Amino acid sequence: MPSIRNQIRELRGARGMTQQELADRIGLTRQTVIAIEQDKYSPSLETAFKVALVFGVPLEQVFQYEPKGKR
Amino acid sequence: MSSLSYQERSLYGSLLVELVVYLPYFFLHGHNSVGKVSLMILAIIVLQIILQSLIAAFTRNRTTDERDKLIQLRGYRAGYFTLASLMVLGLGMLWFHATNGHFPMNGGWVGLHFLSVFFGMLVISDIVKTVTQIVAYRRAL
Repeated sequence: MPSIRNQIRELRGARGMTQQELADRIGLTRQTVIAIEQDKYSPSLETAFKVALVFGVPLEQVFQYEPKGKR
Repeated sequence: MSSLSYQERSLYGSLLVELVVYLPYFFLHGHNSVGKVSLMILAIIVLQIILQSLIAAFTRNRTTDERDKLIQLRGYRAGYFTLASLMVLGLGMLWFHATNGHFPMNGGWVGLHFLSVFFGMLVISDIVKTVTQIVAYRRAL
């Protein structure tokens, strides 16, 4: 299981934003947004900050780090 | 195809051209010549240019991002390890056959044989690189 989880799908849904719209605003492809939402790809720190900026929330509200073996 | 990104379409195009052009190399190995290999290299360059231009023309969003670069690096790493492994294996086999007298240690013959085997290694590692990238995209990395 991945150690970095995120709430992008929920935050995006609450704002009525599509995956393509989010991808365009942070300069990613829609496929990468899908991979991030499915916890299959952990984005770079810069991209993580961009995502938080788009949603207007602190970084830790979007991404959570859970060390392996803690759950 | 609409769900595929520009990079994925480009990779499928590359794989198609590689298989169409390179497969005869393996199946017609006994009849290969320097002329045929040169023609094959020319064919792959021309076909790649045509196909990649068509893919670019029919793809509106050609954005590439950090994940594309990461997948590209994974592909190159897989291709490099394949090439290095095949190189060791190929040189070992060449040495084995030469020392056991399976073919004469004629300078020209060994040179042509090595060139042929080296080209085959490049082809295989290129295909491995492309397939690795496609698999990474399909598994969403």
